[in-house]
Amino acid sequence: MTEPDIGIVGEWLHSYEEDTGDAEVYRPARHPFRPSRRPRRGLEFRADGTFVELRPGPADRPRPVTGRWHARESGVRVVFPEGGRVDLTVLSCQDGVLTIAK
Amino acid sequence: MTEPTNARFPARDLCGTMLVHRRLLNESMTYRARRAAIETRALRYEQGRRAPVRTEVLTIPVVVHVVHDRAVPADDIADEQIHSQIEALNRDFRAANPDVAKVPDVWKALVADARVEFRLATRGPDGEPATGIVRVATDRHDFTVDDGVKSGATGGSDPWPSDEYLNLWVCRLRGGLLGYAQFPGGPPQTDGVVILNTAFGTTGTAAHPFDGGRTATHEIGHWLDLYHVWGDDDGACTSDDKVADTPNQADANYGLPAFPRVTCGNGPNGDMFVNYMDYTDDAGMFMFTRGQAARMNACLEGVRASFLVSPAAKEAPAKEAPAKEERLTRAMPETWRPSHDGDVERLLQDSERLTTEVLNDIRAAIGMVGGHPDG
Repeated sequence: MTEPDIGIVGEWLHSYEEDTGDAEVYRPARHPFRPSRRPRRGLEFRADGTFVELRPGPADRPRPVTGRWHARESGVRVVFPEGGRVDLTVLSCQDGVLTIAK
Repeated sequence: MTEPTNARFPARDLCGTMLVHRRLLNESMTYRARRAAIETRALRYEQGRRAPVRTEVLTIPVVVHVVHDRAVPADDIADEQIHSQIEALNRDFRAANPDVAKVPDVWKALVADARVEFRLATRGPDGEPATGIVRVATDRHDFTVDDGVKSGATGGSDPWPSDEYLNLWVCRLRGGLLGYAQFPGGPPQTDGVVILNTAFGTTGTAAHPFDGGRTATHEIGHWLDLYHVWGDDDGACTSDDKVADTPNQADANYGLPAFPRVTCGNGPNGDMFVNYMDYTDDAGMFMFTRGQAARMNACLEGVRASFLVSPAAKEAPAKEAPAKEERLTRAMPETWRPSHDGDVERLLQDSERLTTEVLNDIRAAIGMVGGHPDG
């Protein structure tokens, strides 16, 4: 496992076709993704600490949910203002590919 | 409807939920009140407490905005591809699609003809002759879901009046998204549906497995107030689509599932993955149900009633053969049929009642926000 660095900053979409048994693969939002009816979950890490998750929406438009993120020794912690906290274990973030432990 | 939860990101605690609810309520109270009134009406139709007035096939005038990168001529899709989409819609919404024969026997009796057809508009907003196709060359390569494609100011194309036309934007969408819609009751300036150019129609740039025109069928389903059949509860069985004759199912289905696929204790028949409002491939979805048709009728005789009386709709009469129900109606003596003028009058009264309901909901919402202490 590698320490997350500034490379994680940006907007990532789930490239679920590339998932492995224990990892989810994300690519930059501008990656030429294959058209998919299955929604691609989005994770946006902004440099100012803002986190935006794109969740499936009821009319197919992804629904943004905003929180705060910060790097931790073991990955990234996301905290939502309304309550709720999630720890993401970043397995790697290089060459335009972000992998997170399932 | 119930907001989707998320397996990775857990649901908020109750206090947090209430704070979010309050914030959203304050931000878009009018929209929420409007949606509540639409939902109340839909429930009446869906439960059979109210029958549709409409007896004829409704033809909805469509304007297709083809918004394309001026550097990519292939994105300026041909008229033929647009026509193929309209034809696909007219098959799907009339249950005239050949693959409806693939509906499992257990659901065949539920297959509905929504008695809605679509025609490219022959008149523009000022009554001028039109093709119903607007082509806009833009400097933008693609669009996101921020409604940018719906305005000329952001490199897109301005809508035609959304109470008279179904606005259908075709463009390149980022992230592999096939399309998105707006439920009735939202802002008129963004009302309509957006479709990825390679998932539009059945010819030209339409690409497998989204080359059956079903993305537009699905999105227009939302535009006519249909929810996803799984209820958007992210795998739970707690929320459904508010339509009784579609089984409660856990989550979306993808690809081409095999029958039966049982979830949420919905055996023996399982998920209705052949429904247009699931997420299967175009070749895997081929029906609306009677309950869904009732919801669409509630929408068309309520919040979208303007289409029943719009001059643009009258410019585009239906040509297809009438549905079985309409043939039965035509066989009735004239005196048995509801008169069109009577229909209009009743719809106008309904609009008035709907407005009152919305105002009451707003008053109730204001009372709720102002009447409770923080907690």
